[in-house]
Amino acid sequence: MADPGFGIYVHIPFCKHRCHYCDFNTYEGQDDLHASYADALVKEVRRWDGPTRSATSVFFGGGTPTLLPSHQLGLVLQAVRDRHGLSEDAEVTAEANPETVDEAYFTALLEAGFNRVSVGVQSLVPKVLVGLGRTHPPEVALRALDAAHRAGFDDVNADLIYGSPWEEDEDWVRSLEGVIDSGVAHVSAYALTVEEGTPLATLVRSGRTPGVDPDIQARRHDIASQLLGAAGFARYEISNWSRPGRASRHNVLYWSAGEYLGFGAGAHAHVEGERWWSTRLPRDFIAAVQADSSTTAGSERLDDDARAGEALMLGLRLRTGVDLDGFSKRFGASPLSKRTGTLDRLREVGLLELSGSRLRLSDRGTLLANEALCELL
Amino acid sequence: MDQAHQRAIAVIAHIDHGKSTLSDRLLQLTGTVSDRDMREQFLDRMDLERERGITIKAAAVRMRYAAPDGAEYQINLIDTPGHVDFGYEVSRSLAACDGVLLLVDAAQGIEAQTLTNLYLAVDAGLEIIPVLNKIDLPAAQPERYAQELASLIGCDPADIFRISAKTGEGVDELLEAIVSKVPPPKGDPDAPLRALVFDSVYDAYRGVIAYVRVVDGRLQRRQAIRLMVADFAADADEIGIMAPDAQVVESLETGEVGYVIAGIKEVALAKVGDTITSADRPAGKPLPGYREPKPMVFAGIYPIEGDDFPELRDALDKLKLNDAALVFEPESSTALGFGFRCGFLGLLHMEIVRERLEREFDLELIATAPSVGYEIELMGAQKQIVRNPTDMPDPSKIEAVYEPYVSVMVVTPSEFVGTVMQLCQERRGELKEMHYLSTERVEIRYHMPLGEIIFDFFDQLKSRTKGYASLDYEPVGMYPSNLVRVDLLLNQQPVDAFSTIVHRDKAYDYGKTMTERLRKLIPRQMFDVPIQAAIGSRVIARETVKAKRKDVLAKCYGGDITRKRKLLEQQKKGKKKMKQIGAVEVPQGAFIDALRVDADLDAGAKS
Repeated sequence: MADPGFGIYVHIPFCKHRCHYCDFNTYEGQDDLHASYADALVKEVRRWDGPTRSATSVFFGGGTPTLLPSHQLGLVLQAVRDRHGLSEDAEVTAEANPETVDEAYFTALLEAGFNRVSVGVQSLVPKVLVGLGRTHPPEVALRALDAAHRAGFDDVNADLIYGSPWEEDEDWVRSLEGVIDSGVAHVSAYALTVEEGTPLATLVRSGRTPGVDPDIQARRHDIASQLLGAAGFARYEISNWSRPGRASRHNVLYWSAGEYLGFGAGAHAHVEGERWWSTRLPRDFIAAVQADSSTTAGSERLDDDARAGEALMLGLRLRTGVDLDGFSKRFGASPLSKRTGTLDRLREVGLLELSGSRLRLSDRGTLLANEALCELL
Repeated sequence: MDQAHQRAIAVIAHIDHGKSTLSDRLLQLTGTVSDRDMREQFLDRMDLERERGITIKAAAVRMRYAAPDGAEYQINLIDTPGHVDFGYEVSRSLAACDGVLLLVDAAQGIEAQTLTNLYLAVDAGLEIIPVLNKIDLPAAQPERYAQELASLIGCDPADIFRISAKTGEGVDELLEAIVSKVPPPKGDPDAPLRALVFDSVYDAYRGVIAYVRVVDGRLQRRQAIRLMVADFAADADEIGIMAPDAQVVESLETGEVGYVIAGIKEVALAKVGDTITSADRPAGKPLPGYREPKPMVFAGIYPIEGDDFPELRDALDKLKLNDAALVFEPESSTALGFGFRCGFLGLLHMEIVRERLEREFDLELIATAPSVGYEIELMGAQKQIVRNPTDMPDPSKIEAVYEPYVSVMVVTPSEFVGTVMQLCQERRGELKEMHYLSTERVEIRYHMPLGEIIFDFFDQLKSRTKGYASLDYEPVGMYPSNLVRVDLLLNQQPVDAFSTIVHRDKAYDYGKTMTERLRKLIPRQMFDVPIQAAIGSRVIARETVKAKRKDVLAKCYGGDITRKRKLLEQQKKGKKKMKQIGAVEVPQGAFIDALRVDADLDAGAKS
């Protein structure tokens, strides 16, 4: 397996409004913390004394990174550059909420060194946006995509959510056509998941909102594949499509079981077989950094076989699948030989397919990935 | 006491018609229990105390009664079990008596079970003393129900006693009547000992306590005895009476009632109906009327946790010590694992056993739908008994199927006659007799398969008659029926726990209901799963669990691979807990849920 690079993830745990389906680590109404959080991030990135190397990708995710002033994001990125280094062709992404950005903001990001933005469009149909609890109308999202392009970003991603109970097939088609027409290079389309503990889950349980229908979601995924395919996008991961050469390096890094550092509240890191994560509350994170103590809240180290299983679980999500020769070089022969029976059975039932030395999910297996992946752990 | 001054009676009454209260008054008026010690429902409470570790059951109480004529009498009050499943036990209690008090609530009239027991008493040639109770209640209609009772037993309404056991009104006169009307025992004091066992309980410390009435001869302490039917020898270590507390005595004379403890280790060796005789001078033949307890209803009982199988076996072994009617043998089911096919006297008996297993032995259990025992006549005149539907041979090999029938008696207000008849007809009943007890109340008799009663017949009867109808039934033998076994198949694989034997006309309804229910309970798989109901190879109903189309985690949040992996690990763990039926993975809970609602299903299928 070729070296997938080295990534750095930066988490901004703030949103203006928290969407009712979201179970990410983000908080609303903590505006007073924004500045000290940004300062803490800069300090945290700079004081890192563990192993590191030049990053091939940097990803500012959230929450809503663009809720912070662009110069604060720039300072954090500068800290990354100073302490860890950026490779020449590094991909540097910021997630953006359509309501928080304009052309000037994007221009400032570009000048600070960002070269990719990911805009949370979710839908281009008013009733679906309302259902999802999004506060912006469709035009605002389209305007944000346009502003990013005009500011000079070539790599613009639109995030979409499909299969919500408020959406019909034609609504989904409208959303897809809208983002295709906007000229984006990349589309992430996620099936709405009713996550435990979210307000949406409560609504569904009480019957006030219908749940999601996996059959409908499967159909919407097919619609996405058709429309995006016809428009020149190729699916490179279960939920991700891009124009040729525009796949997200940072995204692919995760699926390649690659190494990355994570900075910020609740951020995750993976280096040399160890995974660890920071404390979740912004306040705690700031306090720890200010006190010069560790922000780490937990960690795990997997044994060799579990690491191999995890690499399969991740790698098979990619359209290119897992190169078994490279896999054996990385993990030795035993993880595969141990799973021979399972792999054969999963191929027999048509979830996996083997072409040359590449093992991947079949078309049908793509949407039933859990069935296959859980057996390979 | 000499025979001439002994009386043995039982009270026949419907639940809540006042048997316990009348017993209280009798105990009090005879001075058996002092006013100071008296508590309400005295004998019932003694039973409860027994549950908490005191062993003696108030199966029979001896009272001394100083009659107005100056003579002293010994009155033995013998308890009768109060449910349809224990008809035989009632008959043995009655066989130990010389007379009965027929106690009827003056606001309700006679109920079916009381009627059955009345007929038993009449058949046994016992003196019947009819009594209307609760005449102090505003709703009492003594005139009306006196008429009903009088026409039933063929006496003058004026001869019916009217009492209030609660206030004591009329109970003195009743005591006098017991002495004057009930004949003394007729046994031969010089004949070899014959004592009838009319109740038998197991005590962990003392072994079996047998409650007996000495019919002939004399039973002495330390006497060598023999149980004639069981052909079992023992020594009468202890003999006693209840008055109402247990009192050890040296002997029980002809006609007297008491208990015997003889180091017997299980009630199966001293069954109700057996005869105790003297080992040295044995009687020529036992007392008539003994019957082997015969299980009528069968069900598979399984531990919900498969690991509990040995505990279930131990628990059944222990219950068996105290329950001669309980039979069981191990069986295994693809859906439910290892368990036991158990045989019961009836539904109540089944409920009692199950409840005791769960409560006293802390087991979590699931039972298959109850079934009756069938007799299969195979081609070539061979016969086979089937107690588990899965044992039923292929239809092509069957010449005829016989199922147990019962004579069902329903007593109902006349306005519900149509409703009751409709229900009985739906359950393949054949009307045998209709008898007006009075202008307002009717006794209806049906000839009906037991299999039609054991699901929810009683509940249906109660709900359709607003609770007014009462039910009783007794087995009348095996009759041929057009019965078929319906199998449920999951992806072509039969699921044994759901096979059932039903009348051909009802097979489709059963199949349809069960396939629909299972479709809702079986999770979607990687492929379409047909759920079929079939008779032999013929499919009569079909549903499909559509293949799962999507099962994938949409995204990974901020590089949190750990969480993703844990979700999948959980899914993997869930899969491991599944039961594998062919290629189909089914959570154990699905079968349990399907069985739990079986009674409802049956109602749906049959109504």
